[in-house]
Amino acid sequence: MRRVAVIGVGITKFGKHDRTSSELFAEAAADAIRDADIAPSAIQALYYGNVTGGEGEKQLHTGPLAATLLGLPTIPTTRFENACATSHVAFRHALMEVASGASDVVLVGGAERVLNIPTDAATEYFAYCSDASYEQTVGLTFPGVFALIARAHMEKYGTTEEQMAHVAVKNHRHGVLNPKAQFQKEITVDTVLKSAYVADPLKLFDCCPFTDGGAALVLVSEEIARKRPRAVWALASQAATDTMFLHEKRDLSRVTATERAAAAAYHQAGKSPTDVDVVELHDCFTIAEIVATEGLGFFEPGAGGVAAEKGWTSLGGKIPVNPSGGLKAKGHPIGATGAAQIAEIVTQLRGEAGARQVEGARTGLTHTLGGNTATVVVSLFGRD
Amino acid sequence: MTEHVLTLKHFFEEARAGRLTGIRCGKCGELAIPPKEFCPTCQEYDWTPVPLAGNGAVTSFTVIRIPPRGRAAEAPYAVAVVRLDEGVSLLGRIVDIPLEHLRTGLAVRFRPLMTGEQTAVGFGPV
Repeated sequence: MRRVAVIGVGITKFGKHDRTSSELFAEAAADAIRDADIAPSAIQALYYGNVTGGEGEKQLHTGPLAATLLGLPTIPTTRFENACATSHVAFRHALMEVASGASDVVLVGGAERVLNIPTDAATEYFAYCSDASYEQTVGLTFPGVFALIARAHMEKYGTTEEQMAHVAVKNHRHGVLNPKAQFQKEITVDTVLKSAYVADPLKLFDCCPFTDGGAALVLVSEEIARKRPRAVWALASQAATDTMFLHEKRDLSRVTATERAAAAAYHQAGKSPTDVDVVELHDCFTIAEIVATEGLGFFEPGAGGVAAEKGWTSLGGKIPVNPSGGLKAKGHPIGATGAAQIAEIVTQLRGEAGARQVEGARTGLTHTLGGNTATVVVSLFGRD
Repeated sequence: MTEHVLTLKHFFEEARAGRLTGIRCGKCGELAIPPKEFCPTCQEYDWTPVPLAGNGAVTSFTVIRIPPRGRAAEAPYAVAVVRLDEGVSLLGRIVDIPLEHLRTGLAVRFRPLMTGEQTAVGFGPV
């Protein structure tokens, strides 16, 4: 297998847009192609992620549509759907197409548009990513899934609502430094603790927002990347699955798919958690960041809440997590999120992240979680 | 062609009649909620339906205050993961228990929730 690098990244502004998800992807993809400094005609395939287009936009067959709007209507396309991990799964498969030698230049990314529909409809469509028979029938929502996880973590380890609030405060502080972020406004622990419960013990400010946006990456073979000083190497990309049924999880305080994907990715890259300089991970809810920092091996099980409270995951801390503002402040267009996380890590490793730059970052990690924790992808990136 | 021990349709038809049914692996003894082809523990196909008494204890719960479309009139409502006495867990809607009385470890008992043609898992007081 050949080495593969990212040479181009593009992200739309995250927030509310009056354009379709396919238009948003096309904008991000055009930016990624310009950033890569290649001819659009060099692109040989599109790996595309979109989740709720069929429901919210009455639009399926979004791969060819995105390619058409991009102005590349003849390239082969594949549309992926793995809930919130969608475009990170697409990335892993695009990586394999280039690594295998089947293609030299591949475009990957995703987009989502949900702010055109009412919140209760978006809540319903997102809930389609949990099981229809056992989970949707009792009225479980995604904040509800992570509330069940939060309570289990609180009971087992003594994690507090205040510790969870620190995750939101930190990610909002980072988001101020990211011009693409949906929220560029600092909040306090009090803001979080005084916000209304959405699904106890999670409150409004424990939750990421609904977001419109797109993100894209250009992947190339080693031969092409070697001539590009801004290339960032994909060192590993591993996916893991866990049971779709919450009732089958042996320990609700853990996400075992994160632990398995991370172990495989560290092994593939020949790295360990202490080698990682900067992380973009899946903070769809504050508790999700705490559990992920444990599952990725940065802290012992149960220590993630204390780490958040002490600022160890902040810019300038032991292991900076979500310098982009994360899903919490940057926003979470679910089909685009994985690609957007990778774009941030590539930007960090290039040293081009401006006010939110992690100084001297050489190795970065991305972690994206899908749905009720059933899909996780972990990738590692490096400058050499 | 495999003989299906218990399909989702059968599970919920039984549940509608007030009976919870699990499946037990004849090779390794794993108890599971249907449907499954291979046993996730030993990968054999040797399931037998077993009745579950429906008694258990709450292991985690939440109160849903922002519901999905169509459930506004039901909110706020509680959803819990319940570990049944037989050792397998099941997600269900909490009914007839005041929200402020909910805690982990609370003993609950299965009851079917029927809305038109649809059946869901519910848990109420013992």
